[in-house]
Amino acid sequence: MSSTTLENPTAERSSGSQPERKKRKSPLPWFLLAPTLIVLGVLTGYPLIRLIIMSFQEYERAQLMGVPAEWVGFQNYTDILTDPDFWTVLARSFVFMIFCVFFTMLLGILIALLMLRLNKGFKLLTSIGLLLAWAMPQLATMIVFGWIFDTEYGVVNHVLTSITGNDWMGHSWLINPLSFFFVAGIAIIWQAVPFIAFTMYAGLSQVPGEVLEAAQLDGTSPFQRFRLIMVPFVRSILTVLIILSIIWDLRVFTQIFALQGVGGISEQTNTIGTYIYQVGMAQGHYGPASAIAVILVIIMMAISYYYVRQTLKEEEL
Amino acid sequence: MKRNRLVATTVASTITLALALAACGSDDSSSDEGSSDAAVESGDLRVWLVGTDTPQDARDYLIETFESENEGSTLTIEEQAWDGLVDKLTTSLSSSDSPDVVEVGNTQASAFTSAGFFADLTEDYDALGGDDLLQGFVEAGTYDDKFYAAPYYSGARAVFYTPQIVTNEIPTTLDEYISTAKDNTTDDVSGMWWPGQDWYNALPFVWENGGFIAEQADDGTWEAGFSSEGGIKGLEQVQDLMVNASNAPADGQETDLQVPFCEGSVGYLSAPTWIKWSIVAEPDAEVPGCSDTYGSDLAAFALPGADGGAAQVFAGGSNIAVAAKSENPELAKSALEIMLSDGYQKILAGNGLIPAKVSQAEYLPDDEITQAGAAAAANSKLTPASPKWADVEAQKVLQDSFVKIAQGGDVTEIATALDEQIESILNS
Repeated sequence: MSSTTLENPTAERSSGSQPERKKRKSPLPWFLLAPTLIVLGVLTGYPLIRLIIMSFQEYERAQLMGVPAEWVGFQNYTDILTDPDFWTVLARSFVFMIFCVFFTMLLGILIALLMLRLNKGFKLLTSIGLLLAWAMPQLATMIVFGWIFDTEYGVVNHVLTSITGNDWMGHSWLINPLSFFFVAGIAIIWQAVPFIAFTMYAGLSQVPGEVLEAAQLDGTSPFQRFRLIMVPFVRSILTVLIILSIIWDLRVFTQIFALQGVGGISEQTNTIGTYIYQVGMAQGHYGPASAIAVILVIIMMAISYYYVRQTLKEEEL
Repeated sequence: MKRNRLVATTVASTITLALALAACGSDDSSSDEGSSDAAVESGDLRVWLVGTDTPQDARDYLIETFESENEGSTLTIEEQAWDGLVDKLTTSLSSSDSPDVVEVGNTQASAFTSAGFFADLTEDYDALGGDDLLQGFVEAGTYDDKFYAAPYYSGARAVFYTPQIVTNEIPTTLDEYISTAKDNTTDDVSGMWWPGQDWYNALPFVWENGGFIAEQADDGTWEAGFSSEGGIKGLEQVQDLMVNASNAPADGQETDLQVPFCEGSVGYLSAPTWIKWSIVAEPDAEVPGCSDTYGSDLAAFALPGADGGAAQVFAGGSNIAVAAKSENPELAKSALEIMLSDGYQKILAGNGLIPAKVSQAEYLPDDEITQAGAAAAANSKLTPASPKWADVEAQKVLQDSFVKIAQGGDVTEIATALDEQIESILNS
């Protein structure tokens, strides 16, 4: 599968823009590509094909131990698409994703702009802080956030009690789905911002200073300079970052799963990632779970279509 | 020239990779063959115990006895967590890296026995203890008349308290229990500590009022009974206690119960009997207890029933089985035999766990707490005997529903929704 998609651009290019290379039909590129292709095939191709096969089968716990699986056609898909739970979870995931992506991008860009202005020492300090947040394992992050928002002993309740004077001790942050996602959102955004900030900083620092200076002399406001000069310069980076964030936040699993263990009501806080886990791993219905995963893959592909097309376009230039 | 070398390197690396992959494949198959015909070769055994319930003495006994009986073999105990156990066992038992002996909750066993995850132990039944084994747990480990998972231990629930906080007489009926718990409640003290996710503790209230979890009709379909008349009555009592007698988080879990207890903010604490060890631990232990304060005079009684006597409580405990994919099934069975030997079960009994062998129960310590546990165990009940029951637990529908009850939601509505969910899982 991967070999055919790769063949086309190579063939086109060698026949089109660089016709003199046409006669050299060396097998070398394929030899060089072979290890990558094998690894890709084994690590990505096989699980994906297996997933698709499983989504058309009745696959339960017994099938894991070698009982042959029965083909059920599109049964799993029709079951899922007619299940209101699935649509609730999907809608919830999308709303949560939009919330996270918006604030991640906003904070990331603001920090990147800040880093452009900082002197060396503070820039280093900010970078280290960001790196630490980024390097922290997700599970450890969630345990810490679980403690921060703990119902009885959490520091948030303690601080709120001493600031407002009202008794916040015993306030459960996770039991209400909205505040559950607020806590989950803080943790996810906290960890996603560093990547955005670094990448944006790298992009923004490439904007030529003289252009900005000229614009300043012409009397533009800082916001105008950002909107009309910086953003167009880094547009492709922005697009990629937004699409990556969308994908990451849509399939978020660890943070939600770990937080569900701390408290809250699972049924009201499942996102698409934890829902697949619930159906597949916890209940042992691997067929329907695979079907949901395939649907998610299709959604992801639709979202990243723009990104892939953009990348291919740039390569052609 | 240069290019030729590149080609050569690439080809070489490709071939190496292919060979390595092939090697992995052939390795797998040869070890599979090895496992089926190996009689008692030496090997390295992995035993999964869950939670901290198994005392350290017993662990040491198991390793020492096994390694001296099986020269050249080793046994490693890997401790797992109760939370998410079904998921973890499903993936690991079906993988090529399966542990050899696993402990599983008695209510979870049927999910695995019914799907071929465990080795058949029918022929070893007598060697493992035969009719001396706890029969309720033998039943939990049997599927289709085949014996897959042996009893390991049972642990009933008792109600713990300290006379420093609970000064009233020990209640003799369920109603008295509820009213004294409510009387003892202040802003700082919970008359009864009840985190919302702890659904095991709610079952006695349902049973004592004539309700049930789920029953199987003659045609094989399951009917859930939380919304039955007795079920609703029991759940209303549960809500009364959760809302009016407990300051525990409505969405909290029943983990680390010794923490609030040692703070002196708990009146009654209904918990498995092994919680005793967490409470009476030294204050400077790795997991600190309070042997010097509220743990110094720890006492317990069996939850009273509606008409006096011990209430019907949930029989917690574990089964133990040999993984179907174990590479050393013979060694695994010998480890299982050690765990069910009189010597091992005696250690469990000495630590207050109800042993899997009835004959070893005489070694239970002769104290108030153990007797409270034994009294409760004599009147204990199990969750519905359906292979799908483990799915009900794994899907957390019970936890979710009891969190809603603890929040003060409408009991009839919650119970009806819960019954629908349970029925849809059990009848799927």
